[in-house]
Amino acid sequence: MWKMSRIRLIRAVTLKELIDYVRDWRTLLVIVLVPLLLFPILFVALPLLLQAEFVERQEFDLNVVIQTDDSVESLKPFLFNTEMELSWETIPLGIANLSDSALEDDRIGSGQVHSVLRLQKNIDNGTIWHYAILYDSTDERAKEAKRRLLVAVFAWEDEQVNTTLEMAGLDPYQTLDPVRWDGDSQVADVATTGQQAGFALSLFIPLIVATWTATAAMQPAIDMTAGERERGTLEALLCAPITRMELLVGKWIAVATIAAIGVLIQVVGLFLAIAMIASGSSVLGMPSIGATALILMFSSILLFAVMIVAFQLALAVRSHSVKEAGTVLGPIILLIIIPALFAQLINLEGIEFWWFLIPVVNILIALRELLTDTVVVEHVVLWAGSSLLYAFFAAWYASKQFNREDLVESIN
Amino acid sequence: MGEILLTINDVSKQFSHIEALKNVTLTLNRGDIVGLVGGNGAGKTTLLRLMCGLYRPTSGRVLFHADSGPAPVVEMRRFLGVVPESTGLYHRLTAWENIRYHSRLHGISDEECWKNTLRIAKELDFVESLGRPTRGFSKGMRQKAAIIRALAHNPDILLLDEPTSGLDVTSARMVRSLVKRMGQSGGTVIYSTHKLAEAEQVCDRIIIIHNGEVRADGSPGELLGITATTSLEEAYVKLTMDAARETEKEDDEGKIAKLWRRMMTPKKLPGGDVEDE
Repeated sequence: MWKMSRIRLIRAVTLKELIDYVRDWRTLLVIVLVPLLLFPILFVALPLLLQAEFVERQEFDLNVVIQTDDSVESLKPFLFNTEMELSWETIPLGIANLSDSALEDDRIGSGQVHSVLRLQKNIDNGTIWHYAILYDSTDERAKEAKRRLLVAVFAWEDEQVNTTLEMAGLDPYQTLDPVRWDGDSQVADVATTGQQAGFALSLFIPLIVATWTATAAMQPAIDMTAGERERGTLEALLCAPITRMELLVGKWIAVATIAAIGVLIQVVGLFLAIAMIASGSSVLGMPSIGATALILMFSSILLFAVMIVAFQLALAVRSHSVKEAGTVLGPIILLIIIPALFAQLINLEGIEFWWFLIPVVNILIALRELLTDTVVVEHVVLWAGSSLLYAFFAAWYASKQFNREDLVESIN
Repeated sequence: MGEILLTINDVSKQFSHIEALKNVTLTLNRGDIVGLVGGNGAGKTTLLRLMCGLYRPTSGRVLFHADSGPAPVVEMRRFLGVVPESTGLYHRLTAWENIRYHSRLHGISDEECWKNTLRIAKELDFVESLGRPTRGFSKGMRQKAAIIRALAHNPDILLLDEPTSGLDVTSARMVRSLVKRMGQSGGTVIYSTHKLAEAEQVCDRIIIIHNGEVRADGSPGELLGITATTSLEEAYVKLTMDAARETEKEDDEGKIAKLWRRMMTPKKLPGGDVEDE
């Protein structure tokens, strides 16, 4: 009976905090819309944009100048394929080498000519062609002209190599490619597309989960603690017949719920984006993760959230204002990102046990392992045990902070 | 005299180097309307926070006398209704949501809370505003909402910290009337204010607190009697007059006079001329 009434109090606090928080439309934008759209935009819209930009570049009208004193008849077909306006000139006198752009600054800089290809035959040690392309690296058209000129020059170079080998009585195919892969290399991979997808995701999902949990929890944690102090609402609340521990638990559940929804929506957004890409791809599939690994993944995220949210609440409640709390909690994100980056680089094969004892890193490595559908009991015991310990410590620290007498004092 | 509800027994409260309250001893009886009067920084809010259990006494005890016997106030908050000076309303919630939240924390059902809210809101002419978010509320509306919130769970003791501060004349009058009616119906109120006239109007017992000490505790008539004065203002001045403060005042007056004389004395410039302003 008593317990039920205490649970009702905690539920009342959580409910109020959630209602109060979601009433702000900016919250919905940050917690729901941004994480939901981030990956679809990144994975689907970005390639579409890049493709559109490529098509746009293909349609540029480009003028290039070919400067040479030699006959380049064999190069001409390749240059004509570039679909650029070509004009021919001799190499100017007085240049130090072919890359000397001093004399072409004005023409290229003004956009009158987009690129200049200089070619010079050197026959001292056999036939060698020297070339240089003059262009403006800050001009989109000049860069595109250079790209097309390089395509033509490399194709011509291949032809030159083949001709030289044939003249020497050699088969270019056998000479240049004597060791070859037989068949389809993708078929040779025993991993399923689902496993491959899981492995690929393991390289960045932990990072997302870690940073987004910390980021999504930060604002509500500040609002529900330092924000209450700043607005003077905490005094009235602390006069209610609820213990500070119950208040902490109620607020913690609210912050954790908001952070969890944020992370969940982001992961859903990510999977949506993958599903969209996978539907048109034979290489990429949806990740295949077993039920045990999935449950453990959620447990690890939960433990991580317990720890992070408790620490954030504890640190935020020490602050007298939202601004002060923001200054304190802002750098915390760095404390998450740096170990998260480390965790991405650690080899999972033969990994030392103590990695699973380091806070933050342990959960991120666990997530990487689980995303590849690998469940190692010893590792699970280590990360779950150590994380429970850290979460307990974080909760204890938070409860200590919530019992501070000066909590009631407001800057107002 | 009604039954004892709250006992403050030789309570002192110290914040690092500041002694906010010094050996305060008080008893609060059922049906008392007590005015806690003192200047800024006198210790009124500290005393109220000790009564709510928000602060722990450095020494002494604060005891609430429930039917089951005396108990620490922290366990008895459900019998208290508190209106802090800041009102403490959540601006994204409506007035009703604010009231309901606190009543839920006091273990009151939403139905009972609504019934009480409606009754008090009618008295305060606040029914129309119950469904509005408190964001756009005037100071008076906020104060009314906070008072309803404090009363919605039928507390035994109502603690009001500067309840008319910043209110217009009509709203302040409405608050005072409500408190008086509470007293007439047997309610117990602690009314903290720095306005002596207001305390005289509302309360049947006045506690003068100064520099963390209770200087006097009694009915307005008793205060006049012990100070041999004819008005409460004179009584307050007499009760809060310190020997140390007098010396300090004389010192300050001496310094000001000296500074004034120095400023008004014409300076002699080199060559014997007098500087004109």
